[in-house]
Amino acid sequence: MRPRSMARSLVAGCGVCSLAGCLAACVAHPVGPARTYAGYEGKAVTSAEAAQSSVATVQLVASTAAAGKAFGPYTVVSVSEQEDGLSAVEGTFASIQPPDRRADALRDELVAILSSAVDHVADVRIAARRGDLADLDRVAAPLRADAAALDAFVARHG
Amino acid sequence: MKRFLAVFLGILTAIGGFVDIGDLVANSQTGTRFGMNLAWAVVLGVIGIIVYAEMCGRVAALAGRPVFDLVRERLGPRVGLANLLASFFINFLTLTAELAGVAIALSLASSVSYLLLIPFVAFLVWLVIWRMPFETMERVFGLLGLCLLVFAVTVWKVGPDWGSLFHTASHPQVPGTETGFTYAYFAIALFGAAMTPYEVFFFSSGAVEERWTEKDLATNRANVLIGFPLGGLLSLAIMASADLILGPAGIDVGQLSQVALPVASALGRVGLAVVLVGIFAATFGAALETALSAGYIVSQYMGWMWGKYVRPRQASRFHLVVLLSIGAAMIFGLTRVDPVKVTEYSIVLSAAALPLTYFPILVIANDPSYMGDKTNGRFLNAVASIYLVILVVLSIVTIPLLIITKGGTG
Repeated sequence: MRPRSMARSLVAGCGVCSLAGCLAACVAHPVGPARTYAGYEGKAVTSAEAAQSSVATVQLVASTAAAGKAFGPYTVVSVSEQEDGLSAVEGTFASIQPPDRRADALRDELVAILSSAVDHVADVRIAARRGDLADLDRVAAPLRADAAALDAFVARHG
Repeated sequence: MKRFLAVFLGILTAIGGFVDIGDLVANSQTGTRFGMNLAWAVVLGVIGIIVYAEMCGRVAALAGRPVFDLVRERLGPRVGLANLLASFFINFLTLTAELAGVAIALSLASSVSYLLLIPFVAFLVWLVIWRMPFETMERVFGLLGLCLLVFAVTVWKVGPDWGSLFHTASHPQVPGTETGFTYAYFAIALFGAAMTPYEVFFFSSGAVEERWTEKDLATNRANVLIGFPLGGLLSLAIMASADLILGPAGIDVGQLSQVALPVASALGRVGLAVVLVGIFAATFGAALETALSAGYIVSQYMGWMWGKYVRPRQASRFHLVVLLSIGAAMIFGLTRVDPVKVTEYSIVLSAAALPLTYFPILVIANDPSYMGDKTNGRFLNAVASIYLVILVVLSIVTIPLLIITKGGTG
């Protein structure tokens, strides 16, 4: 192969790879800016749905650990991951500029639910780190109300 | 008896080595979001990898040529180079995901941050490649990967309505909560996870490393025709366990720890310990395969000496590529990039690059000057050609689907 064609192939290949990399990086963010109330509401629902999954995971991990079916390190890491995920969802949603006053109310409503869920997941993580696995079901009980609030939010706005 | 034992061990290794982080993540995600409605995509992918892996093994045994050697010869240096770059990039993403997967499995057993474990894992992968004989390496991690059979035990323990499970799998439809686009996107993810290019690079190069000859064709067939379908059943068990336990709880899989949750929930601590060993073995084995594949494809394209069967001094450039790939993947993993997202993109993007990998294999497997009287039969050619058409269609629609569905999120 001539050096020039080789270089051309190299550049083309690098371009394809970079494009793929950029695409991968670009599409990884489910929440972007919102200009209308409908767009903002859609993003709120996406955030609430992501939080629903995290809360449900922590509930299942807590009940599994409380039943003596999971050991400490697994429980701690699993709950910490969900806490990080939930905090990221809360932070990302809170950082979106609400387009109007109606959106302000929506923002306050969801941020309050997410904040409560983050606090309760943190309680589960703290109890798990202290080794209180048998008590996790009780510590995780307030998450039922958070899950119900998230369900109701998604049902109302979804 | 010794021959039978070798074949039996090979089959077990093929089952245990079939699943990697891509299969773990893709099957769990689809199980929670689509139930068993995408089981057909696993079956389609498994048949595809059986067809082409059998050809790869046969070509390697008879022609003594691994896949990338043929890619360059048949596609020419320019297209071969584009294929090399695309394959290397996807392989690199997969290697990053596998290294992170091993670190996460260790983290779940020790509660040490997986980021602290990644350098240790990267060193361990390099050490095993450097020191452990090829066959031992393949067998140890393949057999340990059998621990993932605990997913099948989980499904059995949960005691599902088997009729309903089979009905959903055999009468697939798009669930009301999903769109046709996300359904197609995840079908491609499952297909890509089963037919990842590194699998054939490693399979064919491994056959050359183990010096397969015509006498090994029966072993090749047994590994592929028995081991891979059973490995596919393992994938379906992962999907079913997620469908039965995570789906009803409203959990969407975004972390590797969630993949193990159905097993802990159904089988308790023993099950959890076994599944973590299985995840460790599956991801470690795949990390070895992808790291070696990086060296294989670059060396085979460039015409360098390659492989573990030659002295490191003779294949120094091969070992350097392996080492640099592991180092670069380690650094990428340490940037806190989400391993599950990396996995998702690697399997979906691999679907886009598949035709360039599989087309030359089909051509060589029909060339009597390499294969003698062991060229493909009509039936095999028909099936392989249908798959090639599917692969071309997938390579066209994958990137648009990735954008439309925002990476499967909506």
